[in-house]
Amino acid sequence: MKILDIAFKDLTRSFRSAFAIGMMVVAPLMLTGLIYFAFGNMSGGDVSMTAIQVGVVNADQLPADSAFEMPIGEIIRSMFFDESVQSWITASDYADEASARSALDKQEIGVAVIIPHNFTERYWSGEKDVQVLVISDPTLSVGPAIVQDMVTMGVDAVAGSGIARQTIMERLEANGIQPDPAQIPTWIERYGNWYRDFQRALFHNPDKAALVVVAPSTGETETADPLARMMGLTMAGQMIFFAFFTGGNSMMSILQEHEEGTLARLFTTPTDRTKILMGKFVAVFITVLLQGMVLMIAGRLAFGVQWGKPVSIALALTGQVFAAVGLGVLLISFVKSTKQGGPVLGGGLTMLGMLGGLFTVNIPGGMPEAFNAIGNFIPQGWVLKGWRMTLDGSAAGDLLIPFLVTVAMGIVMFAIGAMMFRKRYA
Amino acid sequence: MSFAIEVKNLKKSFGDLQAVQDASFQAEAGEVLSLLGPNGAGKSTTISMLSGLLAPTSGDGCIMGHSVIREPEAAKANLGVVPQDIALYPDLSARENLVFWGKMYGLRGAALKSRVDEVLEIIGLADRQKDHVGKFSGGMKRRVNIGAALLHKPAVIIMDEPTVGIDPQSRRHILDNVKELNQKGMTVLYTTHYMEEAAELSNHIAIMDKGKVIAYGSHDELIKMVGEQTRIDVTLNTEAEKVLSAWRATEGVSKIDALDGKVTALVDDSNRVLPRLFDAAAKASVRITSVDIQEPNLETVFLHLTGRALRD
Repeated sequence: MKILDIAFKDLTRSFRSAFAIGMMVVAPLMLTGLIYFAFGNMSGGDVSMTAIQVGVVNADQLPADSAFEMPIGEIIRSMFFDESVQSWITASDYADEASARSALDKQEIGVAVIIPHNFTERYWSGEKDVQVLVISDPTLSVGPAIVQDMVTMGVDAVAGSGIARQTIMERLEANGIQPDPAQIPTWIERYGNWYRDFQRALFHNPDKAALVVVAPSTGETETADPLARMMGLTMAGQMIFFAFFTGGNSMMSILQEHEEGTLARLFTTPTDRTKILMGKFVAVFITVLLQGMVLMIAGRLAFGVQWGKPVSIALALTGQVFAAVGLGVLLISFVKSTKQGGPVLGGGLTMLGMLGGLFTVNIPGGMPEAFNAIGNFIPQGWVLKGWRMTLDGSAAGDLLIPFLVTVAMGIVMFAIGAMMFRKRYA
Repeated sequence: MSFAIEVKNLKKSFGDLQAVQDASFQAEAGEVLSLLGPNGAGKSTTISMLSGLLAPTSGDGCIMGHSVIREPEAAKANLGVVPQDIALYPDLSARENLVFWGKMYGLRGAALKSRVDEVLEIIGLADRQKDHVGKFSGGMKRRVNIGAALLHKPAVIIMDEPTVGIDPQSRRHILDNVKELNQKGMTVLYTTHYMEEAAELSNHIAIMDKGKVIAYGSHDELIKMVGEQTRIDVTLNTEAEKVLSAWRATEGVSKIDALDGKVTALVDDSNRVLPRLFDAAAKASVRITSVDIQEPNLETVFLHLTGRALRD
């Protein structure tokens, strides 16, 4: 009974401390909230981007006797006026390079595409220096890069058509068929049409594209919302970090009591010293457990985090509580005063949190293998593994290894710490 | 005869330092026993062993017949300890503090509630019981500090210098509290380095110095140890060293000690010795700025026994 009395007293004191509440609940929610507001719009699938203003100067014209129906310049120009790009590219024609440059200087356009005079004829005649010029506002980065890529694709299409023509000619000759030069423009146009349709399909109808990029699935109920997935991991990282902090900070109450003189006074009462220590351990355990539950509910309500299956959540949370309490007891058992405790907890837990991957949960492509290997020796790393699996919808059976490892680590650290405390106080 | 407090050859060493050396004393039930001595005399170490905070190196102590070594729980159940410093939870109210400490002494339910109410009345804080202790004045905290040790109605209460650093009004309140508790039959072990507190409160006094009990007895018994000697306090306009050796050799001076320009001497007959002291001072070109002649008291006893003033 006295164990619970001591635990209840410690819990009352913890929940009356603005600092403790701040570090237990407010700080992790605030940090997660900052990330939510910083990245929420970009990750929500509602991509909004200012339209790229493109000025096109097309001086390419075919001679009257040309075998081609359409100049290459017009093919490139038409890419910027195509209906499929109108939501993000606003194109305008300019008569000459000077007027396009002037519009660029006045920031009426962000990028100017200059297609030189007689580009088609000069290109097909093999002239080396003929080129399409892309001039951009130096303050812009994304828009000019896109336009540059589009021009490159257009020119690649033309080059591709040349290769197509050469291949057809060679194949015909190899089969003893004399090619009809009058048919060549038709072949090139056919290739051009195919290439244009292919590009449209690739960028605007990904499901019809030749190359379909599929992200590897890590669980059966992986959320389709990238924001929810990111917030889940972020919230888990913050929750783990601050759970470990709370474990240490709550355990520091024993040092606080030592300094306040109440620990010595407790020892003068007919209360066994082991019971006094147990009461303090129970308080830390309950505090970390309640903190985890509050943060999970808050994460669900505030950021829409889908934590996963109930049994898996219970396992991940239990592992977190054991590991956080164990490490807290162990760290504080080496500390002599509350003044020492602050830096030890702050520095030690930040370093372990970093090594455990708590601050890099959302790095695209993950961290290097060597870094992940270090996480296998850190309690926070295993707790994070458990939460990753839970967030990915893994079943309880899949969580057994992280659960057992975190609980085992917690018990070992707790045992060492408790032994040190008993040696010091009991 | 069974004593409420019995200390038998108690010793405590910290490495080479012998903090308490072979201390022995007793207190009968219902009496006030004071441990008097300067800072570092071993008073706090002695009561730390009696209250179960420190394990004795050797010897034993008994509270109501229960050995603090063999039956610590039973000894503690009969004992209330008022620490020298405030040992309370500042972020809990006065009532919450008392309820918690009551539970630690095994009180529960209605008995706990009624006892907390009683103690709040005794310490005069019933109207402030819901306020956090951290907001209290020093004197009010002291009262709660004492109240927490009274909850289980202990047969013996140990008070470790409870009046250090508080205002005269709170000091008076605490001394009156001690008397009141004693009148109700409680045995009090009171440590202090204020000889007037020991003189006012105690049935018996144990004087400690350098870890040893150097005298034990009632106030009158201790004073008799000094005999007919008188204590003289002299203040000088310069450092005492200039004249101290001359005074030490003066006929009729039995003990002499100096600190911060103030000299305390134990003399056989002040009427005959004082002129000799003035002569010696004049020869050493030292001017005496004040003289205070006192009848023998506990400080005189300490000076007689140790050659040093109690304030040292």
